[in-house]
Amino acid sequence: MKIAGEFQVDAPQDRVWDKVRDPELMVQCIPGCESIEQIDPMAYRAKVSVKVGPISARFNLVVTVLSEEAPHTVISRTSGEEGTRASVVSSDNVLRLEPTETGGTKVSYEADVSMTGRLGKFGLGIFRKKADQLADVFVETFRHKLEVAA
Amino acid sequence: MTQVLFPDTLDQAVALLADHPEARPIAGGATLVAMRNAGLVDSSHLISLDRIAGLRGIERLADGRLRVGAMTRHADTAGSDLLTGSLMVVRKAAGMIANKVVRNMGTMGGSVANADPAADYLPALACADAVLSFLGPEGARDVPILDYVQDWYETALEPGEILTAITLPAPEAAASTYRKIARVSGDYATASCAMALTADGQGLRVAIGACGPGPIRDRDAEAALHGHLHDAGAVAEFAAALVALADPVDDVRGSAEYRLALIPRLITLVLAELNPVMEAA
Repeated sequence: MKIAGEFQVDAPQDRVWDKVRDPELMVQCIPGCESIEQIDPMAYRAKVSVKVGPISARFNLVVTVLSEEAPHTVISRTSGEEGTRASVVSSDNVLRLEPTETGGTKVSYEADVSMTGRLGKFGLGIFRKKADQLADVFVETFRHKLEVAA
Repeated sequence: MTQVLFPDTLDQAVALLADHPEARPIAGGATLVAMRNAGLVDSSHLISLDRIAGLRGIERLADGRLRVGAMTRHADTAGSDLLTGSLMVVRKAAGMIANKVVRNMGTMGGSVANADPAADYLPALACADAVLSFLGPEGARDVPILDYVQDWYETALEPGEILTAITLPAPEAAASTYRKIARVSGDYATASCAMALTADGQGLRVAIGACGPGPIRDRDAEAALHGHLHDAGAVAEFAAALVALADPVDDVRGSAEYRLALIPRLITLVLAELNPVMEAA
């Protein structure tokens, strides 16, 4: 399942770059994220809950930064499982920042997500819709944090 | 371990739901048992509605409306003589759900409460202008079907509430039907169409299923189409209005693009079935 999108933030690229690598800010922006801890300079551990109708899932994720080119590209891999349950999720992610003509930043992202186990059975169609909604919530919160708390 | 509780009254069932916040009501179990077996849901308690009197069957109310108890099985709905004319759509939908085993097990209340976007009742009930009755700790309330689905698998039914009945308007002497496109007989719909002629035969009520979180209906487009059923251009415009409201998923049953392409074709097909005069014209 490929998820992609882009949005603009009314903040300079250097500042946005600092913020996308700030776990404390991210935990507030990612919907359903309970915690993020940095386990080494290139890896983070996160707990994220997702609910789709009758189904609730709580994932333990590890996000590994595979490469980064400050201040414009982060390539990362997310992998995780659902506690004792048999769902495994993984995704390859690319995040890009570009300056806009008005001094802001264009953020674009792509993720190729795969899910197996009980949640895979439920069908990825609905999860994609849910992912799009969660992305909208993330963008709204992230933009608010950067633009208001400038 | 899941404990199954068997209350005798709705009030007891509502009280049990309040006592056990993780509990879920279980109706026929056609979907919930399968989801539980697949590990998709788990609950400390299931509250069975099976022994509660008065939840089964279809009755005609004094004003002509029909009240379908939430525990009415699909097989009984599919065979009900009370569902005539403009309500035939509900009967047809019931008869197309899955297979005989599921129709003998599953209930209208269970299906509606689960709100699977690809299931058959929601579009049929949307076409019929059904009203849903809930009972919860705050008392009873009614919700029109078009206000019911709020998001994918998210509905107006609050935790702690139980769907008790589905009320249908008095049947009109106007044709109605339900049609679904499915990969194989008995599958969930790739796209579906519930359609009824208005009492004057000049207009339509149409609900599209499986192309968004809930059934798609557009009353303004229906009003614009009124009196123009024989105008292919007007029908195409009507179909385009419903396509514009659709938000289908890509899944094993079909791509989003394919589903969008099915909507106008289904509308033309079902309209021809209801209104054979148009074919001759």
